[in-house]
Amino acid sequence: MSDSTPLILPDARHLLRRTGFGASVDAAQALVGDFPTRGAAADHLLDFTPTHFKPGGRYVENLHASWVKYMVKTRLVLQEKLVLFWHDHFATSYDKVGDTGLMGEQNRLLRTFCNGNFRNFVKAINKDPAMMEFLDTVRNDKDEPNENYARELQELFTLGVKDPLGNPNYEQEDIVQIARAFSGWTYDRQGVAFLRHGDHDKGDVIEGWNPPRGPKVMYKSRGDFNNPSGQSFDAGTNYEAEIDNVIDIIFQHRYGPTGSERGTTADYIAQKLITYFAHPSPTQSFVHDVVDGSGFAASFELTPLLKAIFVHDDFYLTAAAPAAGTVKSVKWPIDFVVSTLRTLGMKLRSRYQYVNGGDYAAIRDQLTNMGQTLFEPPSVFGWDWETGWLSSATLLARYDFARDLTSARGGGGTSFRPDRLIDLSLTDPGAIVDAVTTLLGVDDQVGTTERNALINYVTDGAGPGAAVDLGDDTVRDRKLNGLVATVLQSPIYQLH
Amino acid sequence: MAISRRQFLTRTGIATAGMMFGPSLFRTPWLRQAMASTIGDRYLIVLFLDGGNDGLNTVIPVGGALRAAYEAARNTGPGGIRIVDPLVPTTAFSDVTGDQLGFHPGFASLRDLYDQGMVAVVQGCGYPQYSLSHDVSRSIWRQGAPLSAPGTGWVGRYLAAAGYASSDIPAVNIGSEVAGEYAQTATSVLVFDQLSDFGFPYDDSYYDPGQMPLDPLDDTPFKDAAFNALYAAAAANGNPFMQYLGSTGASTLLATNSYPQLHQDYLDDRASFSAMYPKTSTARGLREIAKVIYGVARGVPNVSARLFELSNGGYDTHSNQGAEDPADQQYKLHQEVGDALKVFFADLADIALGAPSGSGKENLASKVSVMIWSEFSRRIQQNDSGTDHGSQGPMFVIGGGVHGGVYGEHPNIDAAALDDDGNTAYKQDHSNGARSTDMRDVYGTIFKHWLGITSASTLASLLPLDSTLGYSGPDYWTAANFDMGFVP
Repeated sequence: MSDSTPLILPDARHLLRRTGFGASVDAAQALVGDFPTRGAAADHLLDFTPTHFKPGGRYVENLHASWVKYMVKTRLVLQEKLVLFWHDHFATSYDKVGDTGLMGEQNRLLRTFCNGNFRNFVKAINKDPAMMEFLDTVRNDKDEPNENYARELQELFTLGVKDPLGNPNYEQEDIVQIARAFSGWTYDRQGVAFLRHGDHDKGDVIEGWNPPRGPKVMYKSRGDFNNPSGQSFDAGTNYEAEIDNVIDIIFQHRYGPTGSERGTTADYIAQKLITYFAHPSPTQSFVHDVVDGSGFAASFELTPLLKAIFVHDDFYLTAAAPAAGTVKSVKWPIDFVVSTLRTLGMKLRSRYQYVNGGDYAAIRDQLTNMGQTLFEPPSVFGWDWETGWLSSATLLARYDFARDLTSARGGGGTSFRPDRLIDLSLTDPGAIVDAVTTLLGVDDQVGTTERNALINYVTDGAGPGAAVDLGDDTVRDRKLNGLVATVLQSPIYQLH
Repeated sequence: MAISRRQFLTRTGIATAGMMFGPSLFRTPWLRQAMASTIGDRYLIVLFLDGGNDGLNTVIPVGGALRAAYEAARNTGPGGIRIVDPLVPTTAFSDVTGDQLGFHPGFASLRDLYDQGMVAVVQGCGYPQYSLSHDVSRSIWRQGAPLSAPGTGWVGRYLAAAGYASSDIPAVNIGSEVAGEYAQTATSVLVFDQLSDFGFPYDDSYYDPGQMPLDPLDDTPFKDAAFNALYAAAAANGNPFMQYLGSTGASTLLATNSYPQLHQDYLDDRASFSAMYPKTSTARGLREIAKVIYGVARGVPNVSARLFELSNGGYDTHSNQGAEDPADQQYKLHQEVGDALKVFFADLADIALGAPSGSGKENLASKVSVMIWSEFSRRIQQNDSGTDHGSQGPMFVIGGGVHGGVYGEHPNIDAAALDDDGNTAYKQDHSNGARSTDMRDVYGTIFKHWLGITSASTLASLLPLDSTLGYSGPDYWTAANFDMGFVP
């Protein structure tokens, strides 16, 4: 792992693919030219202040469309890749929240904190109205405590159920205690969270709770905090401060043998970010390297952590074509859609953002068929990644999208125009195939077998010796469009 | 605490799949082939009631101590959900205690099937350390592994073990994703919503139907060839992940060629039965399965699926659960499932009636078993107008090859026997007044007696006991009962 390792072209393409939506040769060459080392390139990609974009619209369809539209046009692709990650991590569904305004605000919150301080991020999520609805904080009061948020806060957002050594990170009692801190929280009409003091557990004896809950402490059973009576989140009469105290304590949580303890949240989050960006099953040393090298366990600053991931040798283990046995990742459906649109320089149509060809289906419906409806993750656990994205139904949805896109016609940038993207004077089928795979950014991923298959397609089986006349409109429309669709439908293109 | 959360966020199932489940066992080719053929001419359908079906208002005590406990917890009047008048079959229908049972009035069709001897009611099914979370409990049922996270489904482990080729499609799931029960990476599970719009999206925008012979630029064969070569290359990759992608894509194309015709064949041959299916999602899903089974039985090339999955949602009846009025929530759900099953089996039986002996479809109704489950039952004590998440509940196994009757014991719903959360506790002895059936006993009985896996070591590998993880005592599943008797 080194900042100063020279950035070679194949690695630059990998870096751009994983941190953005697709990677053309030209873009990668430009990156290498301007930023000759991994460190310089990572700094460049991470050098942004989050925008204030907020998806909006009366209906969830509009909300969805406005985010997709933004992803297709934005220059800050890494920002959107991060927002998608956090949308999965802090999974919240419109299905339960039922308010497009709150979902849009949460999306902006995810953007605001996407590369910032993770501890402050979690403190802000505590008070996010959409989250408060989704995990029932607004339905948690001292008489009828609701443990939903207190449980997921630890299990999914910060610690994980077990540490990497297999030991439980917390007990049911800790959930019960943390739920006390959140009792009585709600939000006003402006979407600002506030505490209803009358519904907050102030430590008074509450009817039906026997025995009383005692002092407001958590992690009593964890000796590693060196305090058998637990960690107090009591803030006296400043009840509003309790939930921040809870977060501060969670972020001090450690695991591992005495003398070599590690930050539980830091390793958990680093592991998940690595899984998203770099490698589906990272080694322990990869995780430790980036956490230790970035100081994340103390600072919880995401930008240095991300940089440490993007310069690590293991990040580039997944760069080569899969023919070499390289481990690859399945593109998320939204990545598949957005990177394809960006690569082909195409737009979707109208405020519902539909593809102007084939079935003319709205992109939200297409994404739903692919298994990823934005703003409606299947549960608090988010989406199932990797093979979870793959079934005959979801693959067919990807094939549908490719067919629809390559048959799109119409104005306003919504039509498929290969004549603007490919040199039509080419006649050699191998050269045509290479031009298309280069256009789609997978030329470095295609092996001989794949290339031959595509040559046979474009020559109707005549093979590499046959000439293809792209000047003939019918041949061009049929074979060139078909070739682009076939590459988009190929296994290689589903991976990155 | 009765509830414990488990780490099941196994994002990359490949890394852990099989570790717990003795993969070496399945490397023996002859064993795998032997397993693949044991299913013979039978079919299995898994039907999931999504949301946590209130089992206590599905199979209802009619008399005795159970009825007294039931009436103590469930009210009549506004918001009341007590079933005053359960449907009692004409054939024997009682718990081991001798207490008479009845079906929810919405389940009249299920009662009819019961009277035909086709319904096994397996009472009180659950698992150790039950969870009240929909997601966690669903995942546990689907993996068939409460105390570990193998990353594969219980049917999936069978599929992987049975050694199907990557070009086989041994299973079909109705919907949009591979159901958790079927998760594995060895063979293909076909997923579709309906056959009528299932097909490969060829670009037909250049096809001119008025021009004969066909447009010479119709390049479908070359498209297929390229597609197959691309996916074959992925399937041949040494990486299991690439193999999965490759074989899923290849089998999808294969299926888009062979499956859509099943729809038209069925409509042509079985129009009168097709029209009898109610317009509900469960009935539609079962009809899609009937189309496939009809195709398999007739020997349509490349159609060989024998394991199916579908689900019906809406069972999370925290409020407005209703009771005996046909407009009530749970009534409608039971009616939907019961009516759909009744037509489905009538359809299968009719195929049998018209079939020549030796055709393989001479008794389809007795070749198909439907297993019904839900991620949990609901609490005995009702709330304002519904019920909250509970623990053990009934499963059903239905089919002409099933020994109808009541199996397992009704959970002890006496208030004094409930745990801190007000739910019935999982106990493998009778220390809580009833013995809980473990869901894995049901799965194992199906493996052994319906799918024909008789090797004890194979069964133990598919469904390892909790004791292999170091758990012991009556709170855990330490002794399997794969001979529950509901299939011969």
